[in-house]
Amino acid sequence: MSKKDVLLKIRNLKIQGYSNETWVDIIKGVDLTLHRGEVMGLIGESGAGKSTIGAAAMGYARDGTRITEDSTIEFDGMELTTATEEERRALRGSRIAYVAQSAAASFNPAHKLIDQHTEAPLQYRIKKRMEAQEDAVDLYRRLRLPNPEEIGFRYPHQVSGGQLQRAMTAMAMSCRPDLIIFDEPTTALDVTTQIEVLAAIRDIVDQFNTAALYITHDLAVVAQMADTIKVLLKGEEVEEAPTAQMLDNPKEDYTKSLWAVRSFTSPQRYRPTDGTPPLISVKNVDASYTGGEKVLDDVSFDIYEGMTVAVVGESGSGKSTTARVITGLLPPSKGEVLFKGEPFPPDYRQRSREELRQCQMIYQMADTALNPKVRISEIIGRPAQFYSGLRGVKLKNRVDELLDLIELEPSQYYNRYPPELSGGQKQRIGIARALAAEPTFIVCDEVTSALDQLVAEGILRLLDRLQDELKLAYMFITHDLATVRSIADEVVVMQHGKVVEQGPKEEMFTPPHHPYTDLLLSSVPEMDPNWLTTLLEERGVDNVGDAALAQISPDDEKVAGTKV
Amino acid sequence: MSAFVIIYYAILLAVSCLAAYFNQRTIFLAAFSLTLVSFVLGIVGGVPALRFVAISAVVLGAAAMISFAFREFLIVLAPKELAKELRTAPLTAAFGMFVIFTYAVAAILAPWIAPYGEAQVVTSAFAPPDSNFLLGADQLGRDMFSRLVYGTRNSVGLALTATTAAFILGASAGLLAATKGGWLDQILGRIADVIMSIPSLIFALLMLSIFGPSVTVIICAVAIIYAPRVFRLTRAVAGNVVVMDYIEAAKLRGEGTFYLIRREILPNSTAPLIAEYGLEFCFVFLLVAGLSFLGLGIQPPTADWGSMVRENATLISFGEITPLIPAAAIALLTVGVNFVVDWMLFRSSGLKEQ
Repeated sequence: MSKKDVLLKIRNLKIQGYSNETWVDIIKGVDLTLHRGEVMGLIGESGAGKSTIGAAAMGYARDGTRITEDSTIEFDGMELTTATEEERRALRGSRIAYVAQSAAASFNPAHKLIDQHTEAPLQYRIKKRMEAQEDAVDLYRRLRLPNPEEIGFRYPHQVSGGQLQRAMTAMAMSCRPDLIIFDEPTTALDVTTQIEVLAAIRDIVDQFNTAALYITHDLAVVAQMADTIKVLLKGEEVEEAPTAQMLDNPKEDYTKSLWAVRSFTSPQRYRPTDGTPPLISVKNVDASYTGGEKVLDDVSFDIYEGMTVAVVGESGSGKSTTARVITGLLPPSKGEVLFKGEPFPPDYRQRSREELRQCQMIYQMADTALNPKVRISEIIGRPAQFYSGLRGVKLKNRVDELLDLIELEPSQYYNRYPPELSGGQKQRIGIARALAAEPTFIVCDEVTSALDQLVAEGILRLLDRLQDELKLAYMFITHDLATVRSIADEVVVMQHGKVVEQGPKEEMFTPPHHPYTDLLLSSVPEMDPNWLTTLLEERGVDNVGDAALAQISPDDEKVAGTKV
Repeated sequence: MSAFVIIYYAILLAVSCLAAYFNQRTIFLAAFSLTLVSFVLGIVGGVPALRFVAISAVVLGAAAMISFAFREFLIVLAPKELAKELRTAPLTAAFGMFVIFTYAVAAILAPWIAPYGEAQVVTSAFAPPDSNFLLGADQLGRDMFSRLVYGTRNSVGLALTATTAAFILGASAGLLAATKGGWLDQILGRIADVIMSIPSLIFALLMLSIFGPSVTVIICAVAIIYAPRVFRLTRAVAGNVVVMDYIEAAKLRGEGTFYLIRREILPNSTAPLIAEYGLEFCFVFLLVAGLSFLGLGIQPPTADWGSMVRENATLISFGEITPLIPAAAIALLTVGVNFVVDWMLFRSSGLKEQ
C-alpha cells in the first residue's frame, strides 16, 4: 500500500438543488483526486459547495439535492454513484468517517461518549465490545484527552467543546477508516482550544496514514493541516496546488484576494487630551445572572468619542455580558455606567428615548437580529420614525440615505424581506438599523464572526468609514484577534469576567504581554505552514489550550500588576 | 348476470390493461386489486355490494374532479404569490376549500337559495321528499332543505363567532404572557389550568342553565372553554419568538408592548395560529351542535343542525335517513376544514422541504 495509491477519484461532479421548481447546479463539475494518507484542504466562502462535496465523497446527497448521472465518484475502485444504498451505507463509519462542525450538536446527549464511540465497530462486527472500549481509551490517549481511562464514560454535556471535538475525531477513527471528512471541525472553538484540536487531528491522521478532506474557510488553519489545497468558488474549482506552493504564489486573482484580506488596518486613533469625559465609562461593574455566580468581577474601562475599543477574550469570559450591562439589559449588581460623565440608568426600561438612542447594538447573528416578516424599509425606517418622528416622504428619503450609506442600492432592497438577502447584506441592514437612530455609540457583538473573510472585510471597512464620517464610538466584542488588529484603537482583554489587560492597540501588540494576552496572541494561526509545528516545539505538546491556561502563574509581574 | 356487473368488470379490466400498457404502476395495482376484491365481494354480497363499490368510486372520482377544477379556478383568480402557494395544495385541501366555499355561499345567500322560510310550515309532518320538498319535511311540516340552508347560517355563524371570541381572548392573553413574563405569566397560566380542569360540556351546561340558553351566553361559554387551549399554544409559539435578537433590539429601542406584539411577534407566529383556528373551529362546532342536540343551544324555531338531528330523531327507527342529513352536513364541514388545516400545518411545520 504505497502512499501514491489513489483512494478517492471524483470526476465531473455535478450536484443540483431543487429551487423555484427547477433544478439548479450547486456544484458545477468538480474533479478531485485524493491519494492514501493525503490531506486535502477544501477552502472557499460559505455557499462555495465545500460541505456538499464533502458529503458527496461519501456518496451522499442532502435532501432536496441530487448528484447528476454523468458524475463519477470512485472510492477505492468502487463507483459510489451507481452503488446501492446498502453498499454505500456499509462504507460509512467503517471506511469513510465524518467529523462535523459542532460536536456538541452531533453527539447524542442521552448516551455516554464511549457507547457512541463503539457503536460503529460493534455494528460492523469489527471488534468485540471490550476490545472496542480498550481501543477507544487508546485513541483518547493518543488524542491527548485528559483522563483517557475515564472520559469516555461521561455524557457529552460533561465534557468541554474542544475535548468533545477530539472525542468525535477519536470516534471517526474507531474503525480505522481510509478517509475522514472534517467539516469545519474547529470553527466553533476558541483559539486556544483550536490548537489542541488541530494538533491532535494532525497527529492522528499522520499516525494511521489516513486520508482526509479538511473543509474550512480559515486559510491559516488549512495551511497547518493540508498537504494540498483546493480553492472553491460558487461550486467551481478555482485552483489546486500543494500547500507551500499555494501560499507562496497563488495563481488566480480570487485566491490572491483571499490571501490579501488580512491586510486592512485602520489608522490608530488616540484619546482626546483636552480632558473631555469619556463617552461611555464602565466603573467597577459586578454582574451576575439571577441566582448565578458572578459573571463580571470589577470591570472598568472607558470608551472615548470616535474611538473603537475591542473587547477580547474566550467564550465565557464575560464580553457579551459587559455589553448587556452597558445597554441596560442586565443591571449591574455593583458599580455603574457613566455616559459623558453622567450616570446612565442601570435598567433600559428607566432610560429615556434620548438615552436609548445614544447606544445602539449590532448583533452577531444577522439571521435572528432581523425580523424575517418585516420589510427592509420598515426595519431601517422604524428607528428613524420612532426617535425622530419622520413620516412619509421624509422617512423614505432617510431610508434611501441609510441604504446608500451601507452601500446597498435603495430601489432594489427597499421592499425586500431579510430571508431574501445574503449574510453580508443582512449584517449591513443590521448596521443601517443601528445608524438610523443616529447614535454616538454602537456595541458590535461579534459582528463578523458569522461571515466569510471577504465579506467580513467589507463590513469592517464599512464600519471604519462610518466611524470617520459620523464620529461614532464602537465597543467591538470579538474573539478574533485579526479583527482586533485591523479595526481597534484600544484593546481590553477579559478572562473569567475580569479585565486582565487594557491599553492602546500598539502597546497591546508589542511585548511584554500579560501571559494570558500572550497565550491568546500566540494561539492565532498564521499563514506559515510550519507555524503549528514550531509552536508545538516551543510550547511542548502538552502545553496548549487548557493546560497552558492553567499554567499562568498568579505571581507573574504583569498578572500582579492588573490585580491592583 | 346483469348488464351492470358485466360493465363493472369490463371497465375495471380495461383500466388495468391500459395502466399496464402505459406503465402506470400504482394505477394498475389499484385497479387490478380492486378487480380481485370485487370477485370476492360479488360472491359474498351480490350485485348490491358491487353497486355500492361503483357508487363510492364515482363519488370519490367526482369529488376529486371538482377539487381539481376548483383549485385551477382559484389559481387563475388568485394574485400571483397566492397562486404559487395554491399550486402546491394537495387535492384534499382543495376539496376542503371547496366545501368551505359552498357552505359560505349557502350561509350568505340563504334567503335566496332556500325555497321556503326557515320557520314556515308548508306541508304535513314528515312528508316524504318530492319535487317541491327536496329532502322532505320535518316533524312540523317545515321544508328540510330550507332549514338545512338556514342552518348553515346559524350553526356556522355561531361557531365562527365563538371561535373568534375564544381566539381573541386566548391569543391576546398568550401574547401578553409571553412578552411580559413574570407574575402576569404565572397568573394567566394558573387561570388557564383551572378552566381546563373543568370538563367542558359540564361547564357549558352549567353556564347555560344559570344564565339561560341565549346566543350571547353560548358564545361566552364556548369562548371561555376554548380560550385556555389557544392561550397555551400562543404562549408557546410566542415564547420562541420573544427570545430572538430582533425582539431585544426592539425592546432596547424603547418600543411598547403593543408594538412588540403587533409588529414583531404576531407576524412570526401566524401560521400555527391559523392552523389552530381551523382545528378549534371544528371542536367548537361539534360542541355547539352537541348543546343544540341537548336542547340548550340555539332555540327553536331557528334552524340549527344540532337541534334538527334531535327533532327528527324518531324517524331513525323507521329506517329514514332524514335526521342524518344535518349530521352529515356537520361531518362534511369538519372534514373539509381539517383537510385545509392539515395542509396549513404541513406548510408551517416546514415538512415540505424534506
